[in-house]
Amino acid sequence: MSKEELSRVDENLTLETDESRRDFLDKFSKGIFGGLIAGGIVNALAPVQARADMDGSNLNFAEPFKPFDLPPAIPGEDVILRMMRDLQRALKKPIEQRHWNMVIDLRKCVGCDACSVSCAAENKLPPGVIYRPVIQQEIGSYPNVGHVTLPRPCMQCDEPPCVPVCPAQATWKRPDGIVIVDYDQCIGCRYCLNACPYDARTFDFGMEYIDGAADAPKVFLGKEKAGKYETEASYEYEKEWKREDDKSPIGNARKCHFCIPRIEKGMLPECVVTCIGRATYFGDGSDPDSLVAELIASPNAFRLKEEVGTHPSVYYIK
Amino acid sequence: MTREKMGNILVWILIIGFGVWGFQGMVDRFANGHVNTAYGSYIPWGLWISAYIWLIGLSAGALMISVMTYVFNVKAVKKVGKMAFLVAIATLVGAMMSVGIDLGHPLRAFKLIYDPNLSSMMGWMAVLYSAYFVTLCIELYFAIRKEQVRGEKQKAIKKILVVLGIWSIPLAFAFHGGVGGVFANVIAKPYWHGPMLPVVFLAGAFLSGGALFCTVAYIWRPAQSKDEFLKMMIFLGKTTLALLILDEILELSEVYVGTFYSAFGEGHLWQQILFGHYWYVFWIVHILIGVLIPLFLLTAKAKSPGAVALAGLLIAGSFLAVRLNIVIPGMLDPELKGIADAWVNSKLTFSYLPSVMEWQALLFIVAVVMAVFMIGKKILPIYQTAGEE
Repeated sequence: MSKEELSRVDENLTLETDESRRDFLDKFSKGIFGGLIAGGIVNALAPVQARADMDGSNLNFAEPFKPFDLPPAIPGEDVILRMMRDLQRALKKPIEQRHWNMVIDLRKCVGCDACSVSCAAENKLPPGVIYRPVIQQEIGSYPNVGHVTLPRPCMQCDEPPCVPVCPAQATWKRPDGIVIVDYDQCIGCRYCLNACPYDARTFDFGMEYIDGAADAPKVFLGKEKAGKYETEASYEYEKEWKREDDKSPIGNARKCHFCIPRIEKGMLPECVVTCIGRATYFGDGSDPDSLVAELIASPNAFRLKEEVGTHPSVYYIK
Repeated sequence: MTREKMGNILVWILIIGFGVWGFQGMVDRFANGHVNTAYGSYIPWGLWISAYIWLIGLSAGALMISVMTYVFNVKAVKKVGKMAFLVAIATLVGAMMSVGIDLGHPLRAFKLIYDPNLSSMMGWMAVLYSAYFVTLCIELYFAIRKEQVRGEKQKAIKKILVVLGIWSIPLAFAFHGGVGGVFANVIAKPYWHGPMLPVVFLAGAFLSGGALFCTVAYIWRPAQSKDEFLKMMIFLGKTTLALLILDEILELSEVYVGTFYSAFGEGHLWQQILFGHYWYVFWIVHILIGVLIPLFLLTAKAKSPGAVALAGLLIAGSFLAVRLNIVIPGMLDPELKGIADAWVNSKLTFSYLPSVMEWQALLFIVAVVMAVFMIGKKILPIYQTAGEE
């Protein structure tokens, strides 16, 4: 309420002392309603603030990439090196000319959960928040049984259902294809969690790993030492996020963001480098010379739930 | 002791009881956030969201009573318009509290009023509720003012009330149909997704709100003479009965289509609702208490105001079960088979039973709703009638 509106209400209140209750109610209501309507008109006429920061520039992504030396390509080298060269090449292009893709070779995945754990460590994920769980399932019936493992990062859909449902414009798709969450804007309504057809978003309930742990400071140091992890800041979206009180990211929707802080510095996402079977590939799908572009073109590549029309940026190879 | 006095005492006892016990839940919510709630990331919405659509439905239903008074000039409910506005405001306050405590960052929600994402149905809700709240306050003001003036002024106010009443019809359809749209838009949830849900929401809102008003009008009888009172109660009873039948036709259609082919779509979810763990929510709370008993009361005892009021209370109260059965089953299916076991945590499960603190916080909100109504009734000239020239 503006100062003028407040003073009008205040004036009405002062008048009340020497007028009847009916007159007071009359004037008071006029003041309130007048203020509300005036406020509404002012808001309607004011130019809607455009979200010029939707490219992520408000989240400090604008810092230019500084390339570093990589060894020349040799036959039989680790695919990590090739993907890093692909990454460097992509980062030299403007953001809108690259499109990050991930390819997961299910034939190589052994279901070790190294990617899930390293992701949780990289992003300091609390209990209940997970960006890349590995789904494991037994299939068939004895004696013809099999075991399927399926890591599930955020699909970074080209038509993300989670974006248009957000009432606060707190989530959007970057020009390079990554769907991000602005923790400072998110109101924590969890509509996006329901809208995602891959259950790829989780809510930060503010839980801690040491919740309920025994605490005896002079007898043992377990809780105190372990608790240090809980206070470590995460650096998602290249900003420091400390878990204290009820501040963001507590109370926010959270999701995999392909490790933006790493890729902006020329490093591959944490899940890619920690995959012991080299089953996860990452790179610029719009670069025809990149490894991921080659893999996406293979006839046994597929995407999850194609039928819902989300056009995921994550491919699987079977 | 008069009925009104007894009603006042009973409601204040409930306000104090619910308020005191429920306060603990609110303290828990604000001290510990969402940690002690039973919902999680795979079932992200729970009791509070169900209560929100329950309360907002009651509000929309009460608004429709006022529309009958001021727009359609229905004589039987001529004197209940102001009380209907008050019920609508009180339940709206409760609905906003319920959705407010469900948010991760409630204070940030205020920015939705001036900068919403209009591609999101939930973004629209912020705009529509603001418009609705302002409309209700203005309508209540003019409804009170109408009784205080005479002559040309009174005629002018009557016209204003008609215009505002007409405006509130599409508004009510928009904001409550819109709540249905919040769910119906979610393509990832087949149980919610579809064009029927907004219509079902509207029918349910008018039914539950109209039903609640039967009880409110019975206890605090805005109509003065006995004859007037009886006519009002019979009219409210008949309206509620018609809405109950309409709502049940819609529900029957949903159950029939939903269960017809159980191997695909949401058939197994209907199996869960009808014969699963929480079968009693549907059969006992909804069908028996919320449909069959009121149906008997509204037909066999249609001319007994007490029976109509009891039927109204049963329908309005048990409608929370209907809302729960819309919200929760929609989220019971994992999007990807096996995801529930992929990363284990109490917040990553596909089962939900509201925790004690959720119930406590809801009861606190119900206490607030009743308190707003009781205080509003006390300080505003709800019963005042100056007659018309």
